[in-house]
Amino acid sequence: MTASLERGLHAFKEQIDAPVASFFSSCVRCGLCAEACLFFTETGDPSYTPIHKLEPLRRVWKQEYTFWGRLAKAVGLSKPVTDTELAQWETLVYDSCTLCGRCSMVCPVGNDIAYMIRRMREGMAAAGHAPEGLIGATTRAVTIGSPMGVKLPALLAQIGHTEKDIGMKIPVDVAGADYMLLLSSMEIMNFPEFIGAVAKIFSKAGVSWTISSEAFEATNSGIQIGVSEIAAQLVQRIVDAAEKLKVKSVISPECGHAYMAIRWEGPNLIGKPYNFKVVHILELLDDLRKQGRLKTSGKETQRLTYHDPCQIARRGGVVDQPRNLINMVAENFVEMPETGTMNWCCGAGGGVSANERADELRLAAFKRKKKQLDVVRPDALVSACSNCRIQLEDGLEENNMDIPVLSLTETIAEHLVDD
Amino acid sequence: MITNDREFRAALDGLDARQQRLAAVRFVEDVLPLCTDERINRAMVVAADGGASTTALADALKSVKAATIDCHARCGAEGDWEAQAGYFVARAAIAALTPLGQLPGGSAWQAAMSCRMAQTSKSIVSGENSGELETERQYAILSAYMNS
Repeated sequence: MTASLERGLHAFKEQIDAPVASFFSSCVRCGLCAEACLFFTETGDPSYTPIHKLEPLRRVWKQEYTFWGRLAKAVGLSKPVTDTELAQWETLVYDSCTLCGRCSMVCPVGNDIAYMIRRMREGMAAAGHAPEGLIGATTRAVTIGSPMGVKLPALLAQIGHTEKDIGMKIPVDVAGADYMLLLSSMEIMNFPEFIGAVAKIFSKAGVSWTISSEAFEATNSGIQIGVSEIAAQLVQRIVDAAEKLKVKSVISPECGHAYMAIRWEGPNLIGKPYNFKVVHILELLDDLRKQGRLKTSGKETQRLTYHDPCQIARRGGVVDQPRNLINMVAENFVEMPETGTMNWCCGAGGGVSANERADELRLAAFKRKKKQLDVVRPDALVSACSNCRIQLEDGLEENNMDIPVLSLTETIAEHLVDD
Repeated sequence: MITNDREFRAALDGLDARQQRLAAVRFVEDVLPLCTDERINRAMVVAADGGASTTALADALKSVKAATIDCHARCGAEGDWEAQAGYFVARAAIAALTPLGQLPGGSAWQAAMSCRMAQTSKSIVSGENSGELETERQYAILSAYMNS
């Protein structure tokens, strides 16, 4: 047995906690999770059945933690998990799973399959079976502070440009501000107008906010690749910056997995509660709406629909807020079939977009979103995740569908009431 | 001669749709060397034609949208600011070709902003403050256009 395989199997054993063990023992092999996974529905490949992606982990559970499995192992009747097998499973665990969690929603016995995939990735990474793209992103997140290698001077350059564009100052390192805004590298590089949109909205609504120069990155590659120590380190950076600036709340930007990481996984990863709140930007905007501090004028007449980012809607429960906001600025909002907590993933979450090897599969998975869009035929598609936005644009282009993809925050900013 | 953004925006606001497009093309042409995608060059030739048909402009817009999607930064990939300059040039080309009224601030203003962002991206690589210089050049470009 190689050292890396030994590390991986040891990590598998460590990851089999009470929930994982009970999930495996209660699986009735009904196959409903297959029909909930867009990688299965769009390819028809049975190996993409979510529970099947966990087969090596299941075998370790059986061989190590069940009576009959241990007996079979003792008398040499069980098939050990091999390095070759883990290498084969790498594509199933990383390329064909976005951790979207739709499979967990349909499991009749309540198994959280996405949680189990997260656990399995810990073992895969320990065994050296993680995609190159995710390894690179994680390394940069640790050493530079951003999975895309965005450094502070680059952020400051984008901020400087934005300040000129909108004619107002973007607060950086303002101690005592109420809110600390996090950004994803995707926003800094591809969609810097998001920063301007937030600044304009907050200025009108009288929100006290800042960006930290020490922890501006919202995303967490440690969670995507499955290395909890790194994930905890990335969360701790944000916690340290928030405590240093003494902010009351941290805002997760238009990024799905960043919200999941900082809002839901963060305290467990670092082993203690935060002394600040975490809100998604859409939650905050909707709160401002309720308080009468977010005022818009005019409505889009075009037919708009909304793509729910999985980690924001299904994992985070932020379902009504985007709809409240869209209805402020849209006359003709239409829902795709199967939205909210039962939305279909765009096909690029959970680290799939960082993994070039998965490109063909990622675009095949987009066909599910195409089918949803074909039903409502919108003029524009609104979302609240930069990664979804890029995948949606890629998929629409690939399928010759001329539908612009809009950021919800930016759309709201365009409709702010003039002074 | 335009000397600040307030005058710059006011001048752009006074232009009709065709004039906005032609001004935007001049801004894009100034940063075209930052983009290696031939589709942008070809689309700007179409956009620079004052008598271009609606169909030709729509086809050019479709082409630059495809170019933009091909050159955006990939989530999780190592950021390349030089390539990112090309992405913002492509976005400026989209703005130039987008019919008036569909972009906040106007097509030409959005094109100008993306061109400045392209130079800002380049400056992140080089360390030079080329974004500021681009702003000054845009004032001169627009002044010259208004006087032509």
